[in-house]
Amino acid sequence: MFTTKQRLRETLKGNKVDRPPCICPGGMMNMIIEDIMDITSSDWPEAHMNAKLMVNLTKGLYENGGFENFGVPFCMTIEAEAMGAPVFLGTKNTEPRVTDYPMNSIDEWKKLKNIDVTEGRAKVVLDAIQLLKNEDVPVIANLTGPISLATSLIEPTIYYKALRKKPKEVHEFMEFITKNLIAFGKAQLKAGADVLAISDPSGTGEILGPKMFKEFAIPYLNKIVDELNDFAKSGTIIHICGRLKGIYKELNDLHSDAISFDSITSIKQVIEHVDNKVIMGNVSTFALEKNTPTSVIESAKNCIRQGVNILSPACGIGTKTSLENIQQMVLAAKESFQS
Amino acid sequence: MTILQKELLHELSNSVVEMDDERTTELAEQYVENKFDVYEGIANGLAHGMDRAGKLYEEEEYYIPELLMCSDVMYAGLDVLKPHLDYASTANKHKAVVGVVEGDTHDIGKNLFKIMLETTGFEVIDLGRDVPPIDFVNKAKEVGASVIGLSTLMTTTMDNMAVVIELLKKENIRDDVVVLVGGGPISQSYADKIGADGYAPEASAAARLAKELVKELKKSA
Repeated sequence: MFTTKQRLRETLKGNKVDRPPCICPGGMMNMIIEDIMDITSSDWPEAHMNAKLMVNLTKGLYENGGFENFGVPFCMTIEAEAMGAPVFLGTKNTEPRVTDYPMNSIDEWKKLKNIDVTEGRAKVVLDAIQLLKNEDVPVIANLTGPISLATSLIEPTIYYKALRKKPKEVHEFMEFITKNLIAFGKAQLKAGADVLAISDPSGTGEILGPKMFKEFAIPYLNKIVDELNDFAKSGTIIHICGRLKGIYKELNDLHSDAISFDSITSIKQVIEHVDNKVIMGNVSTFALEKNTPTSVIESAKNCIRQGVNILSPACGIGTKTSLENIQQMVLAAKESFQS
Repeated sequence: MTILQKELLHELSNSVVEMDDERTTELAEQYVENKFDVYEGIANGLAHGMDRAGKLYEEEEYYIPELLMCSDVMYAGLDVLKPHLDYASTANKHKAVVGVVEGDTHDIGKNLFKIMLETTGFEVIDLGRDVPPIDFVNKAKEVGASVIGLSTLMTTTMDNMAVVIELLKKENIRDDVVVLVGGGPISQSYADKIGADGYAPEASAAARLAKELVKELKKSA
């Protein structure tokens, strides 16, 4: 019999377990819903600044039959804010977001601050992880992917053009960003997180094309994983949004244990083309929010049938998603070993 | 049309596709010096090139960085041609109001859509990102827009698209305007469900759809 933590760890290591775990990491892969805010009397946006409320929410979801993990934070603005971007913390229903960019051109990265993990919301995240640390339930540390962080610090169109116009400067900028992500990731893992998840919605093959994905996304994602592998005792996950069709080959070059992806990408095709990763996905977040519990169970079972090793939403879930739908998704995983 | 004009149009189109801004500026200057029809220079030269770039994007030959570079080059050429444009040929353009719905700041898709709309001949009013639903409605009324383009990358904010459509109904202007929706989580079935007029999976197809739908809108009016 596995504990929840053992099951995820063994799955990420590629070992055989009784059934797929059902998780939602946090970070960009949001797991927090209004129902849980109400049950735990812990609301957004306050929870983004308060470790205790953060803990209430992620713990509350688990304790009410939700995903089989804890995970913080609930946004992808911690790093950008710590490096100098102004952030609006959103509302009860919407996530925090960057409101302005501290850089106007790529070479201005030298003006950015390093992330200081002893202050601000970076510290809130670490405090929350310390409170969450435990024997049985895996705690997931979350990082914003390097390109997504870069495009939170400079207008994305300027960034994407610079990939062609000023590749050398972009690489310097990416080195700086990666160094900061490693520092924040290491601090989260040292505070007691078991798994590292990196989500990079702005650094997709669909946006960049295979060539630039290989040049600007993979090396920095790998650098983070390589540096933090020893600290992430239960494993590492990389989530890439969008269609993966054009970059199947490149995905084999990622150093993470697991690859997680969007619902527009076919599980079968990923399994066919990527042979060295644990497969995580990909219940449509749209279905989770809008469909009936019965249809959610069907979607979840379908993912398991197609061969996911870890059942998870395909992206961050909307706050209006019902607790019942999440519970049914988790149940689908729990019951899958019997069939 | 003289052979030189034909050649210049062809070259302008090529230099946009090839992302060569200096060459484009030179060609545009040469085009103006020869007093060729400026509107044609835009439509059959620069915009033609941008349209080809959009197709290369659809075919997965070009990606976002390339498309953005092409659009910069097109605008560099436009800066040369525009001052010489006869005002009459720009009048009576259809207006389009575009923006990213409230709660979301991912505007890359919206920016591409804007470029493609301008390429197909719309005058575009860009409300930017994180736009409250009522702002779309007010702006569309103010300028007499034929198209409203709503974009989002996030599942958490897509319902604001339905809010805009409800507001248009409340203001009794729903039938006066074509509503197009787009972005990562959006699909044709979602567009149908909220009663949008159209959806396309990427910007240049969406702009072509806008043009078609506006034609129909005018026909039925």
